Amino acid sequence: MSIQLLFDALALGGIYAIAALGIALIFGVMKLVNFAHGQFIACAVFALIIPSTDAVAVMGLGRLPALILIPAVLAVGALLALAAEALVFRPLRNASPVALMVGSFALGVALQNLLLVLYGGRPKAVSLWADLGAPIALGPAQVPLLQLIVIVAVGAILLALALMLKHTRIGLEMRAAAEDFGMARLLGVRANRVISGAFALSGALAAVVALVLVAQTGVADVRMGGQIMLVAFIATVVGGMGSLAGAVAAGLALGAASALLQAGLPPEARPFRDAFLYALVIFVLLFRPQGLFASAGAKPRV
Amino acid sequence: MAKIGVFDLSVRYGKLTALSDLSFTMPEGERLFISGPNGAGKSSLLGAISGAVRAAHGRIEMDGEILSGLGPEQIARRGLSMVPEGRRIFASLSVRENLMVGTGLRRDESAVADDLEAVFTAFPILRERANAPAGALSGGQQQMLAISRALMTNPKVMMVDEPSLGLAPKVVDEVYDRLCELQKLRGLTLVIVEQSSARAARVGGRMLLMRGGRIVADGDAAEFAAGDLLTEAYFGDPA
Repeated sequence: MSIQLLFDALALGGIYAIAALGIALIFGVMKLVNFAHGQFIACAVFALIIPSTDAVAVMGLGRLPALILIPAVLAVGALLALAAEALVFRPLRNASPVALMVGSFALGVALQNLLLVLYGGRPKAVSLWADLGAPIALGPAQVPLLQLIVIVAVGAILLALALMLKHTRIGLEMRAAAEDFGMARLLGVRANRVISGAFALSGALAAVVALVLVAQTGVADVRMGGQIMLVAFIATVVGGMGSLAGAVAAGLALGAASALLQAGLPPEARPFRDAFLYALVIFVLLFRPQGLFASAGAKPRV
Repeated sequence: MAKIGVFDLSVRYGKLTALSDLSFTMPEGERLFISGPNGAGKSSLLGAISGAVRAAHGRIEMDGEILSGLGPEQIARRGLSMVPEGRRIFASLSVRENLMVGTGLRRDESAVADDLEAVFTAFPILRERANAPAGALSGGQQQMLAISRALMTNPKVMMVDEPSLGLAPKVVDEVYDRLCELQKLRGLTLVIVEQSSARAARVGGRMLLMRGGRIVADGDAAEFAAGDLLTEAYFGDPA
């Protein structure tokens, strides 16, 4: 296996892991699969450019230096998720899980149409940090600088999140709530605070994915959240619904498998890479239907 | 003023009536056992007082303040703590983390460390296993943890649902010894669901006997064990 392949696998898997975490965080505390997560990503992408239906994208937020741009886009993602929680999911809090899920679909469609109205349906070329695409030599391999940055950033985010969950009050409350929300509330843990915290984090993670996607592809497309949402959702299922570690592990594994298939499949089979990937997913779920890391909270309670 | 007052409380699950027009009051510092057959509504009563179960109608007061309509976290913040049926410890969290979950509501943060020390002194096994996942504890240890976790919220009223469930008789003795010690030490008002009237009589206190969602008898636990009120409650005509 070449070094290049290793970096491809890590970078792709890292992004899948971050997207899957965004879904697993909310599922953990609310038992809600937020299918609007992909549209959170798309909205964070379009926040970079000035609303217009012209074919040419004019950068708005995206023109700012990275030190301002990155926190601003993270804030956009977090605020969007907080607004979605307050306007859509809070009124549905005591509704059935199915109603919550349908609500998240409806929110996703609404957000997508909002983007269509504001920006039009055509994909736009967006040049964000174009010079990061330049390859640098690592031994015998040529690795784009952006890929290195993505891998380091993903590692730093995972570490920060793990430390936050382990060592802060809100982290402790989130872990307790994910395992048994009713019990946590009986101990005075505020449901609104924990759920808002999970949504804000999830939205910020969606913005991270958005930034990486734009920098990598150079395209802003209204539909761009859908594909990664699908992979991220599959990663949370394979990882075990509600298990954060499982979501990360399965996200990395899916990215790695995807990169390996891309490199290893004969050229004529490559267009069907995803079919092979999902066949692999079915195979895993046949043997571990509860996912690789089933969480305590996802088990039925007596 | 009564510490806890329950007035005309009814709880329904769909068409099923779990509690119907139930009323009682208890003074501060009292020890109250709630007994009765399965399905009598004991857990529903605790659930309604703690805010986990919504009442169909009626009123619940603590220190004259109406609790009905508040969420469980708000009731916990007013000084009522619950050790629910089946203990419901956070299995994946460490023992210490379990104890800390309920301290977020406290304003006397400096006293938290002292209380943790007091819990560790009362239950040395919890100190020993402080960093182990709570799911690895034995049933009796988990019960101690659940009680300690409730204590860490610094409650005025504590409700314990079936502390003896699934424990060996010797362990149950120990759990009750500790509960009574803690009650004396802190002046707690204590509500305990206990199936065994013999056990309640030995520990001592007031007892409410429930059946079919109503209170069928109210008196000293020792008298219940002697008399035939229990037979009446379990086998007699429904009230």
